[in-house]
Amino acid sequence: MSAANGAASASWQGKLHLNYGVTGDQTRLRAPFAQAPLKIQRPFYPEAGGVCHSILLHTAGGMVGGDRLSIDVNLAPESKALLTSAAAAKIYGSIGTEASQNIQIHLGANARLEWLPQETIVFNQAQFRQTLRVTLDPGAQWLGWDIVRLGRSARGEEFQSGNWRSHTEIWQGNRPLWIDRQRLSGSTETVASPHGLAHSALVGSLAWVGMAVTPDFVEAIRTQWHPDPGSSAEIGVTRLQQGLLCRYRGCSTLEVQRWFRAVWQQIRTECWGRDICLPRVWQR
Amino acid sequence: MSNFQSSSQADGALLRLLQLASPALPVGAYSYSEGLETLVSQGVIGTAADLEQWLSQELRWGAIRVDAAVMLRSFEAVRTQNWAQVTDWNRWLSAARETEELRSQHWQMGRSLLHLLLETQAAVSLPPTLVQTLELESCNYAIAFGAMAATWEITAPAALLGYLQSWATNLVNAGVKLIPLGQTVGQQLLLSLHSPLLQAQADLLHLADSDLESWSWGLSLASMAHETQYSRLFRS
Repeated sequence: MSAANGAASASWQGKLHLNYGVTGDQTRLRAPFAQAPLKIQRPFYPEAGGVCHSILLHTAGGMVGGDRLSIDVNLAPESKALLTSAAAAKIYGSIGTEASQNIQIHLGANARLEWLPQETIVFNQAQFRQTLRVTLDPGAQWLGWDIVRLGRSARGEEFQSGNWRSHTEIWQGNRPLWIDRQRLSGSTETVASPHGLAHSALVGSLAWVGMAVTPDFVEAIRTQWHPDPGSSAEIGVTRLQQGLLCRYRGCSTLEVQRWFRAVWQQIRTECWGRDICLPRVWQR
Repeated sequence: MSNFQSSSQADGALLRLLQLASPALPVGAYSYSEGLETLVSQGVIGTAADLEQWLSQELRWGAIRVDAAVMLRSFEAVRTQNWAQVTDWNRWLSAARETEELRSQHWQMGRSLLHLLLETQAAVSLPPTLVQTLELESCNYAIAFGAMAATWEITAPAALLGYLQSWATNLVNAGVKLIPLGQTVGQQLLLSLHSPLLQAQADLLHLADSDLESWSWGLSLASMAHETQYSRLFRS
């Protein structure tokens, strides 16, 4: 990592600009721009229906204090794209300076984006801020998830100090459809208490925004939850003003992935009339 | 009686605050538990100490902070007659609400308080176009409370503390019924919340818009579970 050189000026300032448009029936990624450590793999088209799959790469292994990543995504009207990441993102502990990721997304009329990154692992003592702002033109739909592990729980680490801040906002014109501004300040209390993490290191959100959802559909989504045997995870589903929201608090990446993929499948088959198509990078 | 001094102006504002923050305000607050009913039925909250911990953590990190901070923004917008901001913050708060059930709660209480404001304060009222927009889009309780406090010329710090205290009182009362606890224990619990209430007041008076954030997993999960709870006394 270049940032390991010590000087603050060695921090990464990664950038990524992605523009999608429709040619014929196929969504294409047009002239992407990437600045290290961010990269984008060549897009591929594994399914019928014109959806363009793209895979984001962070080539430096993780983020340290001072790193700033900036991602701009634009979907032209009617385009359909799926974005995921090649591996889990890591946010290392920091003595004070913040690592930040700023994502701006615009979806043109009737465009659809599936934003399905792999999990983010936030190390104890990390200082991390993510802002994700999506603007939707009429008819556009956003389906996105965020899976965050607070502390490297596999090695017994808890998120005892540090800050995780994640501000997600989805707007249609000047109307906010969903505003989700989370902050967790790590402490013994927040790790343990039922108000905080309740000793569960993994939290996940899945939001589908851009169209009204019926109570019956929310009920159907609830039935997609099948916890692991002996799981202590808690989940919930609720309606947003234009969409729905699923939350998970538990311990198992596989468990939350399984549920979120089932929800994704349900939305795709019932509302978009097609099966899900797992990005090949997940199938390793 | 020269030891006693009073200012009729300040006393008038105090009287209006007591009325606004009173559990007797007819907005139906007593019918909401904000997830406590689920937490008690799950055994997560079973004692006065559990409830105190939950409420003080809400005050330190939770959704009530964002709610109260937006109440202040509504207060300020009404005080300065910046009507567009009242609408903007109302939309913002509706979009930021953790669950559908909590959104319904705050809309129902907001509607009731807005009507009360219009019926009792016709002379000072808000512009009709604003009232129409708020009624059409559903008015959050925090927005109506801020508007009422500004109209009644209560000071911002007092309105904030009153808002937080009436929230705490309502949830302590819900806990007293649900756990159940004795009335005296409930009053002790309220006393022990004074320090986190004052701390929240101090923090929120100067909170920047970019810091409107909270940790909501505990509340969200409890409220989402309440939406499907089979047997319920409370509406949230």
